[in-house]
Amino acid sequence: MTSGGRLVMRRFRPGAGLALMGAMLALLAAGCGSQAAPVTSPALRVQTAPLSTSLVTPQGTWAVTVMGGSAADENNFWQLFVRPAGATRWSLVTPAGVADNGGLVAAAGDEQGASLVVGFRPSQSLAFSPLATSSDTGQHWTPGLLDADLADVPDAMAVAPSGQTLALLRDGGIETAASAAAATAGQWSRLTTLSALAASAPGRGCGLVAVNAVSFGQNNVPMAAGSCVRRGVAGVFADRGGAWQAAGPVLPAGFGGDQVQVLGLSRNAALLVAGTSLLAAWSDGGRWTVSAPVAATGDEPGNEQGVSASGFGPGGSVWVLLGGGRAETIGRPGGSWRALPTLPTGTATLAPGSGSSSYDALAVAGSRLTVWRLAAGAWAQVQVINVPITYGSSG
Amino acid sequence: MYSGLNPADPTLVAAFRSALLHQGAIALLIVVFLGLAWATARAWRRPASGAPAEASAERAVAREARGRGLLRVGFGLLWILDGILQAQPKMAGGLAAQVIQPTAAASPAWVQHLVNWGGTAWSFHPIQAGAASVWIQVGIGVWLLVAAHGPWSRLAGLAAVAWGLVVWVFGESFGGIFAPGLSWLTGAPGAVLLYVVAGALIALPEDAWRTGRVGRLLLGGIGLFFIGMAVLQAWPGRGFWRGTGHGQPGTLAGMVQQMASTPQPHALSALVARFGAFAASNGFAVNLVVVIALAAMGALFLTGRPRLVRYAVWFGLVFCLADWVLVQDFGFLGGLGTDPNSMIPLILLFFAGYLALPPAPDEALAAASDPHPWRNRLGISTLRTLRPRTLGGWVAGASVRSVGAVAAVAIIVLGAAPMAAAAANRTADPILALAIAGDSAAMNLPAPGFQLTDQSGQPVSLASLRGKVVLMTFLDPVCTTDCPIIGAEFKEAGVLLGKQDADVELVAIVANPTYRSATFTQAFDREEGLNTVPNWRYLTGSLSQLSQVWRQYGITVENLPAGAMSAHNDLAVVIDRTGHIRDEVGADPGPGTASTQSSFSVLLSQYARQALRD
Repeated sequence: MTSGGRLVMRRFRPGAGLALMGAMLALLAAGCGSQAAPVTSPALRVQTAPLSTSLVTPQGTWAVTVMGGSAADENNFWQLFVRPAGATRWSLVTPAGVADNGGLVAAAGDEQGASLVVGFRPSQSLAFSPLATSSDTGQHWTPGLLDADLADVPDAMAVAPSGQTLALLRDGGIETAASAAAATAGQWSRLTTLSALAASAPGRGCGLVAVNAVSFGQNNVPMAAGSCVRRGVAGVFADRGGAWQAAGPVLPAGFGGDQVQVLGLSRNAALLVAGTSLLAAWSDGGRWTVSAPVAATGDEPGNEQGVSASGFGPGGSVWVLLGGGRAETIGRPGGSWRALPTLPTGTATLAPGSGSSSYDALAVAGSRLTVWRLAAGAWAQVQVINVPITYGSSG
Repeated sequence: MYSGLNPADPTLVAAFRSALLHQGAIALLIVVFLGLAWATARAWRRPASGAPAEASAERAVAREARGRGLLRVGFGLLWILDGILQAQPKMAGGLAAQVIQPTAAASPAWVQHLVNWGGTAWSFHPIQAGAASVWIQVGIGVWLLVAAHGPWSRLAGLAAVAWGLVVWVFGESFGGIFAPGLSWLTGAPGAVLLYVVAGALIALPEDAWRTGRVGRLLLGGIGLFFIGMAVLQAWPGRGFWRGTGHGQPGTLAGMVQQMASTPQPHALSALVARFGAFAASNGFAVNLVVVIALAAMGALFLTGRPRLVRYAVWFGLVFCLADWVLVQDFGFLGGLGTDPNSMIPLILLFFAGYLALPPAPDEALAAASDPHPWRNRLGISTLRTLRPRTLGGWVAGASVRSVGAVAAVAIIVLGAAPMAAAAANRTADPILALAIAGDSAAMNLPAPGFQLTDQSGQPVSLASLRGKVVLMTFLDPVCTTDCPIIGAEFKEAGVLLGKQDADVELVAIVANPTYRSATFTQAFDREEGLNTVPNWRYLTGSLSQLSQVWRQYGITVENLPAGAMSAHNDLAVVIDRTGHIRDEVGADPGPGTASTQSSFSVLLSQYARQALRD
């Protein structure tokens, strides 16, 4: 401080020193006491099913699961296996040419469908979704393109017997290709967006916040299903002539207080989570039949229902893989949930077997896949596949 | 954010060493030139009449205050030591990733954002930045050492303040004061902030040092600082009271053990490790000693009484040295140490405060007898001596110290100017790309011809591109890693070429045996924004056509099983106007950071310009 050209140094004052010290401590305390602000709870935490699944087509039974030896995304590779119809052994048929660290989504037509289409979810710097189609149980693949980001859900694609294809995008929009050839050539058009669907009368009716699955319903009507804020309402919608209509199951009164989310959707069945319960539902084209609930057990954000894999089998059967080596299946409308024997360690997905109550459990340990088959009420190891993963090939 | 390169990369290390040697040689020439000019001028002419020789004027100035002299010499030596530490071979490539980034990691997002901005600037020009840090710090150190009086000396203090703040903010993330775990023991509030304080004190008018008030103010500030640090050290819940917790070393023990694990002489690491074990088993007692010692020293410094302060100073010396060895582990051993941490600067500061406390009788006398105290305080009297009637007169009349100060400033400018020039360029140094890809294999071979189709379905042959320079590479349109980066590098290279871009074709050839139709090249172009680049051509063809081109250019393309990306080698080829290959460059983008991408773009544009000139 200067005064009249001379430097003036005032004697140190204890009061000023204490104030300065207080300010200094406040500054230091600000640096050492950081704490995250509480996150405002959303009206609904959207829950989706993991990508691991299986599906049954006339060609055979397909299974999708992730393998690898590292927690790093670029060393986790998704694999596609097939057990051709009538065969008992599985083969690795992951389509080549694209890094699939982002995940694989598989879809087939109905039971007359002769081909399988696989979508590669984008990862790292890739921003669109290459496709691959096979009509010979994965021996040969035809490349295709969806110039968009495919959603991270197992039912993100659906193919009608006509070849019309639906693709659910990560932003909740739905694209459609008129035929399999159009899908291969990358000729897609927008069917709807999440905001448009949410703004439609049925979307408003359930308070739609996310689309989790697409399918084709009776008469090959495009279907979409998602997560609704409004309690007790299941968000399943059908596109009838360009207008979306509510097509969902009516849940029993006991679930009127629960928010309902659709985890999976097939031509005639759905897997739902309501509160802490999992439900299966079947449609005969007009009416829905809803199963009794089975307890959900998870606690991971976004996966509170605890499902680590799920899928639909022949005849409308539904299976879910839960934590703790637990799996539940239900065969048909009016049936009841059946717990499978404790699953083999590392089971990543289930695949319906040749019999109505038979299942294969596909267990993963690094790059080694072990197939266990349920026979006489117990799991028996039937096959081991060593998958030639090229670690670091995408990183 | 950062280059992602190995700091020990031989290309980077060699370039850094070369830059230091070149600039060192120039610095030596400057010193020799100035010395010769000074000696010659003194021999040929006497100082101009009416303008007192600076040398004699300096002799007339009162002896420098002892406290100021200690700060000036002590911090001058520290700056030189820091400059030498900045010359470590891995510093250019490693400072951003191994020093700046980890230091900022625990700080709030706004600090990280600010610091990362500086780190990015460094990573774009690591050689210039590394060399600049060396010469600026050596220059400041020399400047402080040689300029004992007058405006040159005070300017040296201001230079230390300015550069110290840069280092404190960007190199030390504000000394970690916004991060949890702040402790005096480990260097809070950042060693360089103490350099800044010292610089500011040196920049004060010299008269201020002769009154004893600077000493009282400095010691009062240090006292408050010590008490604040004692409170922080004692604050419950910060983990300093526990030697261990949940089976893990506590905060202090963990820090010490981490220091002991850095590369250093075994005897030292064993000593530090033993103290770490002691702190782990006696955490409460160790922290109690620290808290009491800090509070006691703080209180003694606050009294401002020389007798009490003397005890605090000598106790502080021992205490700080113990911390410097046992906790801070000398600060610069192992890794990429940039300074000896906070204890030596702190010792210098409180010793300087103590020395400045009672005004020396001769200093007080000099201050009292000065007929123009305010002029001297502002340095105006000395400034007059800097205003020569002629340049030769000034040179002849200058003191050795002034000539040394000019040389020090020249050294600083020598380091700062190339960095400033580089920083003005938004593109990165091509040395990064050379470090990844190696230098080009210069050649003059006819480029193998091809007949393919571009993304619009138009046929393109190499012959049709004759008359233009072709920058060519091989890209997988559904690649998730390297190819999008290489595409972006080509696009940026075109931008860097400016008007010359019209004479260059940017060409990619599909490198995926399955996903090779124009559907995919178009999708790739949209993804990377290449669909708006007029001279971008992404060529494809039948598998047999592509296989032939791959073979001719030495590209191996292979579909790997089990979900892996299609594999191919990354190569960029520069083809001149006559269809001859002039350069082949490895195009593997390495870590693919912003700086390496920019660097590759610069390198490609340089090769294209060279081919245009040839």
